[in-house]
Amino acid sequence: MNTPLSLLYLLIFPGGLFLIAMGLVYEWADRKLVAQFQNRIGPRWFQPLADVIKLLAKEEIIPAGVSSGLFTALPIVAVAAALTAALNVPMFGLRPAYSFSGDLIVAMYLLSLMTLCTGLAGANTNDRFSLIGATRTLTQLFSYEAPFMLALLGPAIMAGSWNISEINAYAESHLWMVVTQPIGALVAIIGLMGKLELPPFDAPEAETEIVSGALTEYSGRGLALFHIGKDIELVIGLTMVSAFYFGGLSNPIYFIVKTVVLLLITAGLQSLFARLRIDQTVGMWWRLGALLALLQLLVLIVFKGFGL
Amino acid sequence: MEAQTTTGKFVVPIGPQHPALKEPGHFEFTVDGEIVTGASVRLGFVHRGIEKGAEARNWVQNMYMVERVCGICSHVHATAYALGVEQLAGVTAPPRAQAIRELVAELERVHSHMLWLGVAAHEGGFDTLFMYSWRDRETVMDLLEAICGNRVHYSVNLLGGVKYDIDDKLADQLRKGVDFLEGRCEHYMKVVTTDETFVGRTKNVGKMSKEEAYELGSVGPTARASGVDRDIRIDAPYVSYEQFPVKLITDDAGDLQARFVVRIKELYESFRLIREILDHMPEGELTVKVPRRIPAGEAISRVEAPRGELLYFLKSNGTDIPDRVKIRTPSLCNWSSVVNYAVGHKLADMPMLLAGIDPCFSCNDRSVTIHRGGNVQNDWSWEQLRQYGIAYYR
Amino acid sequence: MKIGAMLGDIFGSLFKKPVTQMYPYVKQEGPNRLRGQLVYNSEKCTGCQLCMKDCPAEAIEILTVDKVNKKFVMRYHADRCTFCAQCVQTCRFACIAMSNSEWELASANRQPFEVYYGREEDVAFILDKANQTVAAEPAK
Repeated sequence: MNTPLSLLYLLIFPGGLFLIAMGLVYEWADRKLVAQFQNRIGPRWFQPLADVIKLLAKEEIIPAGVSSGLFTALPIVAVAAALTAALNVPMFGLRPAYSFSGDLIVAMYLLSLMTLCTGLAGANTNDRFSLIGATRTLTQLFSYEAPFMLALLGPAIMAGSWNISEINAYAESHLWMVVTQPIGALVAIIGLMGKLELPPFDAPEAETEIVSGALTEYSGRGLALFHIGKDIELVIGLTMVSAFYFGGLSNPIYFIVKTVVLLLITAGLQSLFARLRIDQTVGMWWRLGALLALLQLLVLIVFKGFGL
Repeated sequence: MEAQTTTGKFVVPIGPQHPALKEPGHFEFTVDGEIVTGASVRLGFVHRGIEKGAEARNWVQNMYMVERVCGICSHVHATAYALGVEQLAGVTAPPRAQAIRELVAELERVHSHMLWLGVAAHEGGFDTLFMYSWRDRETVMDLLEAICGNRVHYSVNLLGGVKYDIDDKLADQLRKGVDFLEGRCEHYMKVVTTDETFVGRTKNVGKMSKEEAYELGSVGPTARASGVDRDIRIDAPYVSYEQFPVKLITDDAGDLQARFVVRIKELYESFRLIREILDHMPEGELTVKVPRRIPAGEAISRVEAPRGELLYFLKSNGTDIPDRVKIRTPSLCNWSSVVNYAVGHKLADMPMLLAGIDPCFSCNDRSVTIHRGGNVQNDWSWEQLRQYGIAYYR
Repeated sequence: MKIGAMLGDIFGSLFKKPVTQMYPYVKQEGPNRLRGQLVYNSEKCTGCQLCMKDCPAEAIEILTVDKVNKKFVMRYHADRCTFCAQCVQTCRFACIAMSNSEWELASANRQPFEVYYGREEDVAFILDKANQTVAAEPAK
């Protein structure tokens, strides 16, 4: 790969600027849809961008008693991880910028790194709300991660590959996997919501209990970076789930239509439920989510072992 | 931070500035992981000196002052005050005025309970219910505005009557609004009692037995949700509650869900009352004359605010300025119950438990003395009070 | 027990216009009885000053120009007014009313909050007098 092209991939498209813009647009769409579901008007299109610009312009306060190196580094690592993960997925319906066999696992880990950074950021600060938020973030990480992973493994097993673009190609040429693996699709969508800490899984940042959770002490640039990271994760998550379960992403039009429909579904689910307590979240994932995902996997293995 | 290092306990402070509480109050929860092991409350961040201020204004001016004790239950404050003054002056407002007072009080209850439904849902992270209940609350706000011309401080009361009459057109508007709200409230009842995620947050949370409710002096819907049959509208009917009686709503469960159920059932009762009053509105004058100088004497008036029993003590020395106005607000009586049943619950339940009593922080600007054994002294001299204050805030 | 009891609401809202009122851009008319800015008619006033005494916010001042000929001017402090309508009830000669169209009273300075009502020449007289005292003050 030649250097200028790689830089272009990394900084402008599909990584970097394009992805950040995309993330902000999707955040706006999400907020607008939730508002529509709640019969309100919601924010104007530039609101997420305005928030980020405002935060970037503000002073970043490093509270006393924290390891300041870690405090500054964590948001950067989080965004970097999210941006790197984006290189492996068929962003905007195009061929992934960087693809190798087994990149599904790498992308999954990179996405988890974002949550891990949030947890560490909370644990790093001395604030009570942050500490509780960090505990909850990490607890929730352990609860949804396994079922979500299992749910994404389903299509991988069907395609017989660990490569995202190969699974994407398989999904395109076969019946939509949301039809053939409905349980896996359900677990994947809800797992995605857990991963993004969207309601009803927003206990780690439940504003009425622990203010802003792990990020309570963050301000200015750090907070802006975490927001951007989360937005990028939203785009990547939507892309992955729609590529795997909704018949693949072969061109930009499919990409937009499918991810927006998926966003519509998640926004609906967001506005439908009361926030789960952290013990309810964990209980639900392990008692229900993990079992369902395993069941789906079992069905697939049996099907693949005997059917083919 | 100091609290956690010096005592070894992990203390989570909520308030006076905290997103869970839109008003100032300070709570300290000692937690072990997610479980709350201790709770304490500190109030008085919104002390405005209203009772003292009342001693510098005349009887008429004070009506509007006490109306501003609380922004949500403004009408009941003015009603309680007006009833007390009328009692001192030895006059009774005409029946039509009394009926209109009851009508507005019930509309206010509807507005207050729907507001609470939204706030409590928001504390539980159910923003959709919050948005919808507040959207529908606009209907009752508009009705109140149509009656009196203001959405919050209705100022319907006068000493000796009311200012605004209800004509046929307004009555029709009220009936229509009430019909709509009743349908919506039946829907919310279904949501609150059947939605799995919401029931998971409310059922068997913050349980308080009938005995505890008695002992802790709970009032209003909080007490009634624990099966305590206490409602001033029934125990000591004021305005026209004798003519248009209200049915007592209680629930034996005593948990957070029961508090939702009791309040929504009270809404049904309010809708029924509003219709009944509109259908059988007594004819006649709206006001009687009340002298500017109120004869010397003391009076106590009790009313049922949306949050519970509200008590006014008025003392006149025969001039046009009151000698003493003492207000006992319902929110204050319910705090001890929260602090009591918070222990043992999860931290995540705290906002909903706090909201469960429908706290009104501006009602809390009163002083409470709790005697924990020792030397009980009932009379304080000014000097002693001063010393106590200095020692307390040191 | 069911999951998603508000599904009907949110699904319906998807096809409904939001109920949010676009207030500063689209204005809704208030109800007939809306209590807005005070309006005073000096013609019938007897100068009993009861409104002044009863006003809980001390927003009303009745200034006497000529007591015998019943010439009065009201100095109304809109910023102090709590819009309780007690003065409307107190006035036995129905000199005071509350506007239901003038209610957007916010302002960046205090100037518009001091409103004078009365016959033009009386108001001019009062303002003149006020200016004279202001001018006289530094001399003291």
